[in-house]
Amino acid sequence: MTTTVTTPAAGVPSAEQEARPGIGQVLRQFAGRQYLLGVLVVACVAVGFARPSFWGSGNLSNVLFQASFVGLAACGMTLLIAAGLLDLSVGGVIAVASIAVATVLPHTTIGTALLLALAIGAVLGLVNGLLVTYVKIAPFIATLGTLYLFLGAAFIWTSGKVVPITSSKYRSFTTGTVGLLPVPFLVFVVLAVGTYFVLQRTYFGRTLRAFGSNERAAVLAGLPVNRAKVLVFVVAGVCFALAGVFMAGRLSSAEGNMATGFEMDVIAAVVVGGTALRGGRGTAFGTVVGALLFAVLNNALNLLGVASYWQYVLTGAVLVAAIALGARRSSAAEVRGAG
Amino acid sequence: MSDTTLAATSTADLVADERARSAELARRADSRRNLLQNAGVMVPFVLVLVAGIAAVPNFASGSNVTNMLVNAAILAIVGYGMTLVIAVRGIDLSVGSAQALAACIAASVVNSAGPLVGAVVGIGVGAGLGLLNGVIATRLRVPGFIATLSTMSVFRGFVLLFTGGAPIMIASGGFKSVATASVLGIPLPFVIAVVIGVGAWFALDRMRFGKHVVAVGGSPEAAVDTGISVSRVILLSYLASGAAAGVGGVLLASQLGVVNGSVASGLELQAIAIVVLGGTSMAGGRPRIVGTFVAALLLSMINSGLNLLNVPSFYQYVALGALLVFALSIDGAQRAAVRRMLEGRLS
Repeated sequence: MTTTVTTPAAGVPSAEQEARPGIGQVLRQFAGRQYLLGVLVVACVAVGFARPSFWGSGNLSNVLFQASFVGLAACGMTLLIAAGLLDLSVGGVIAVASIAVATVLPHTTIGTALLLALAIGAVLGLVNGLLVTYVKIAPFIATLGTLYLFLGAAFIWTSGKVVPITSSKYRSFTTGTVGLLPVPFLVFVVLAVGTYFVLQRTYFGRTLRAFGSNERAAVLAGLPVNRAKVLVFVVAGVCFALAGVFMAGRLSSAEGNMATGFEMDVIAAVVVGGTALRGGRGTAFGTVVGALLFAVLNNALNLLGVASYWQYVLTGAVLVAAIALGARRSSAAEVRGAG
Repeated sequence: MSDTTLAATSTADLVADERARSAELARRADSRRNLLQNAGVMVPFVLVLVAGIAAVPNFASGSNVTNMLVNAAILAIVGYGMTLVIAVRGIDLSVGSAQALAACIAASVVNSAGPLVGAVVGIGVGAGLGLLNGVIATRLRVPGFIATLSTMSVFRGFVLLFTGGAPIMIASGGFKSVATASVLGIPLPFVIAVVIGVGAWFALDRMRFGKHVVAVGGSPEAAVDTGISVSRVILLSYLASGAAAGVGGVLLASQLGVVNGSVASGLELQAIAIVVLGGTSMAGGRPRIVGTFVAALLLSMINSGLNLLNVPSFYQYVALGALLVFALSIDGAQRAAVRRMLEGRLS
């Protein structure tokens, strides 16, 4: 193959020559796209070098747990951001869904409780979707409003108390491991693969990307934009609820402020992973890497004994840096603003 | 010959008719917009005021009124800055964290270097944080809401690091008396809020800067073509928002007497709610300082009423969220009216 490429004089059609760039170029393109994976590997090696306990199986499963909570929610957020939307009510949805699980668990089976949590996630997502699509409120501000509505509902439901989860079966189901990998992480990987297929291989995903890059063009092309918008908020709500299900299992309890500020981590994982905030493009693989990267960084801060408050600073700074770099690379001047 | 003149006159008539009709439509849409803009805040204000006086015990008592005015003043000052930022199509989600950082640094400087230095440093810290937001939004071209969402987290981290999670007590009685002092029976913070409000109104309504803000918010591309330095206007707006949060933080520190790293969380939602409720459009280009001021009073009355009725504080979350959604729906209707107005004028 290399000979045909390097010897175009041997009657090879020029079209094929253009279709097969040199191996170095392919590698460079791949590296350019997946440089984040390199960052992740370097971070792991560096942390492992500084603190060998990083590679302990207990610590690694810790990292995977953290990554999968953020990642489960980030799968839904990837779809939203690829569609040029945003949801800040992650913390509220997680709180309400996990409180629901914790409340009904003593009375029903685990399956029913799970279904209830996912249904609640869908309903809350539907509220967001209707507000954004039909009341026509900008997504980030509508969901900022509903974040407080949901949190208020969660606090009212529990009267501000912590609801314990006593079912040991539920705990072992949500925190168990298959081989070396925790269950939530496997669910996360499956969900990420599902997100990839939805985004790249289905009509729904194509509609999302179409109106994410140019809503007016998508409407004029006759795509069912409104329906897809509501649906993607519902799907995202289900993803957030799923994250809440596993978080509640890990914490053995649920309360109103169990996930405050979580939306930052989720958005950061998605955007650092390479999904453009301007919409129109999404990468599920990048989201997986982004979620792992933040889990490793936060774990490193813990291992190095840095005050946990630095995590706030780190997440925000990395997010700004990632977007600034993205804005610099794509020289498009017009950035999707607040309005 | 006569046929063509007849046709010409009838065409002219038709055009004139069409013009008159669209002008009428535009006038009607304009009056609807004005109605929405004013009624959106005045109707709830009067309703809550009447309901509060009628149904809530001690609502109109002197101490409660003072309390409401001080809270409204702090909220309104932050709201002015947010009005400016929203008017240039931005948003500042970091006001709560910026206010907390300004309040904590001001408190610690008051303890070490005296009240006046503390107040100046607090306002300076706020302005510096606002400048940082502005630089990220304009120079690094990060969208305003995501830039300030990030700095919200960063500033909160800084304030928790600064305080180490412990509260800071303010020793200076003079500093604490700022919030409780009164001029002719009106609390001093309220007077400050009115003065800053008049200043902001003057800057937006009578000065060149205000025209630039309206131009940038209305259409950034057109503003660039006109020769306005758009990024400078946006930068100054974020700076003003940060400085306003700093002033609010100093007043908050003075009011509370003890500050910790988690004060003013959720402030961004309150500030956005009062700005939008006051009639400033999320679409940009229409700042309304007076509306923000009235809406700050409204929100402060609602919070105080719920407190006096012993409603658990969780319900205040719900009330705030519902208020914001209401305000945004009004804003949507107002924007539709503006669109109809413009269509009427153009055709």
